[in-house]
Amino acid sequence: MAEVLDYVQFVLAPQVVTGLAFGVAVILVAIGLTIIFGLLDVINMSHGEFYAFGAFAALALGWLGLPFWLLLILVPLAMLPVGYAVERMLIQRVFNRPDRHVTTLLLTFGLGLVLEDAFRLGFGPNPYRPDTPIPGAVELFGIFLPNYRLFLIVVGAVVIAAVALVVYRTRLGAMVRAAAFDRNMAASLGVPVAWVYAGAFAFGISLAGFAGVLLAPIYSVFPTMGRDFILMAFTVVIVGGMGSIAGAVVAGLFLTQVQAIAALYISPVWTDPIVFGIMVVMLMVRPQGLFGRLGHA
Amino acid sequence: MPDALTVAARANHVLVGVLILAGLAFAAIGAAQNDTFYLRLATEALIFGGLALSVDILLGYTGLLSLGQALYFGLGAYLSALVLKAVPSFWLALAAGLGAGVVLGLVGGIIAIRVRGVYFALITFGLAQVVAKVVYNTRSLGASDGLLGVPIINIDLGLASVSSASPAGFFLVVLAVIIALYAVSAYILDTPFGRLLIALRANDRRVPFLGYRTASLRLSSFVFAAVIATVSGTLYPMLRGFVSPELLFFSTSGNAVITVLLGGVGTLMGALYGSVLLTVLRSLIGTWTEHHLMIIGLLFMGAVIFLPNGLMGLVRPAVERLLMRKARP
Repeated sequence: MAEVLDYVQFVLAPQVVTGLAFGVAVILVAIGLTIIFGLLDVINMSHGEFYAFGAFAALALGWLGLPFWLLLILVPLAMLPVGYAVERMLIQRVFNRPDRHVTTLLLTFGLGLVLEDAFRLGFGPNPYRPDTPIPGAVELFGIFLPNYRLFLIVVGAVVIAAVALVVYRTRLGAMVRAAAFDRNMAASLGVPVAWVYAGAFAFGISLAGFAGVLLAPIYSVFPTMGRDFILMAFTVVIVGGMGSIAGAVVAGLFLTQVQAIAALYISPVWTDPIVFGIMVVMLMVRPQGLFGRLGHA
Repeated sequence: MPDALTVAARANHVLVGVLILAGLAFAAIGAAQNDTFYLRLATEALIFGGLALSVDILLGYTGLLSLGQALYFGLGAYLSALVLKAVPSFWLALAAGLGAGVVLGLVGGIIAIRVRGVYFALITFGLAQVVAKVVYNTRSLGASDGLLGVPIINIDLGLASVSSASPAGFFLVVLAVIIALYAVSAYILDTPFGRLLIALRANDRRVPFLGYRTASLRLSSFVFAAVIATVSGTLYPMLRGFVSPELLFFSTSGNAVITVLLGGVGTLMGALYGSVLLTVLRSLIGTWTEHHLMIIGLLFMGAVIFLPNGLMGLVRPAVERLLMRKARP
């Protein structure tokens, strides 16, 4: 009995908490992706690079001596105009072509390549590891938990809840959902659809950047960091249902726990095939995902 | 008065002729100069051109964007490496690739064609990712190192025999195989089956009303593209002497999509020209900066925005006008 408790205390519980911290960050990135898809019908292949953008911006500003707390607010705010400009100047150029899915996917894929190489040009290929802003750990029911991961989970959860609140409970959110449901009808009722689109894109990008700032002290900062991360976020979006915020939260928690537990019981190298296998099966059986799209029900 | 598709096909014949002649001239100059580097580079460009060809069959004809075509290319390469290590026979490796292409194409197709549009892109992406990770973790397949030490083979061509170590000789063999793949694709896509695929891309809801089953059409086109990719893949270990899991990764699939976009979607020939163009660009840019990814990415974005028909969209209309002038007395 004591062995089982020891196992839970020293092996299982820390793994679950690590998975939870990762899960919260994945959900932040996935919510951005899913809002952009639900509203604009655009698969943003450069989303992972914007996550890296946030991490690099935090790194560079951190060198200038700005405190972490300020960066956590400043970087996402600074990324809003970037996202707005990308939507207005790049995506809108091909938005009204007949095969919007394919062209926007390809365009953002190209943008991702450019950004990734730009990071390499600016910072070199080697990883940086910023200092943990909150060192130390607390003991909870005999389980040692790193303070920073707990902080990440709490802050991430608050932001996710705030986003859901804004989308489902405010006038702005109603406008966003209306534009997602029927673009023309929303426009004729006075919703500034073009502004909502660009704004949603900017907001999604900014959430990815926020996740980048949060995760930088845990997973290091390097040019291809977005590539590995975005695969997980895509899987979450697909399993949860493209365009569904609730789906992103449920699938994000589920898949990151699957990953964390599978790493323990099977092997860390086999977690990726398992997670992507779930994604493929989900696409086969229920391509619309667990939950419906934004604005639809 | 020939219809637009026929003129386009004839223009392709002219362009393929130009490619073959350029290839022969290149091989002759390369052999005379005793060159290895450029001939090997050109051979690689052609092999990846074969992969791009298969992406174009799906994207340009059936209207399905595959983000995981490297799955078939990579598996073809691994299979070929395994066969060559056991029996050093060019034709056996090619035949194995062909057979595997059909079987794996059917398996992947049955999984992937259930969904359309963006979901198809994502399911092919996911499939390729699963298989790539499995190969990456399998020790008997060399894990992250891949399979090394694929032997040099003598390719028996009936009258003569060419060593895969001879740069010019092997270049010509690859040129012949890739042009044959192109010819078979162009022929098949010019049959009523090919026109149906084009109809599928234009409006896949209307095709069933004409009495055709869209599912079997999509599956055939997927298997067909898979075979082209696998056979192209079998050539890779003969050139490089090894295979690595990178061949299965998304970067390989993504590169093939970039190639098709730059060359021109739905032109077939564009895939081969695009691959040559991309290889030339890469080595040119590589001589003065290591950041070729950025320039390729910018070019790609430019092509998506300003040049939706790619290189062939620029070149082929000119050839077509020439042909039409000749057709009219």
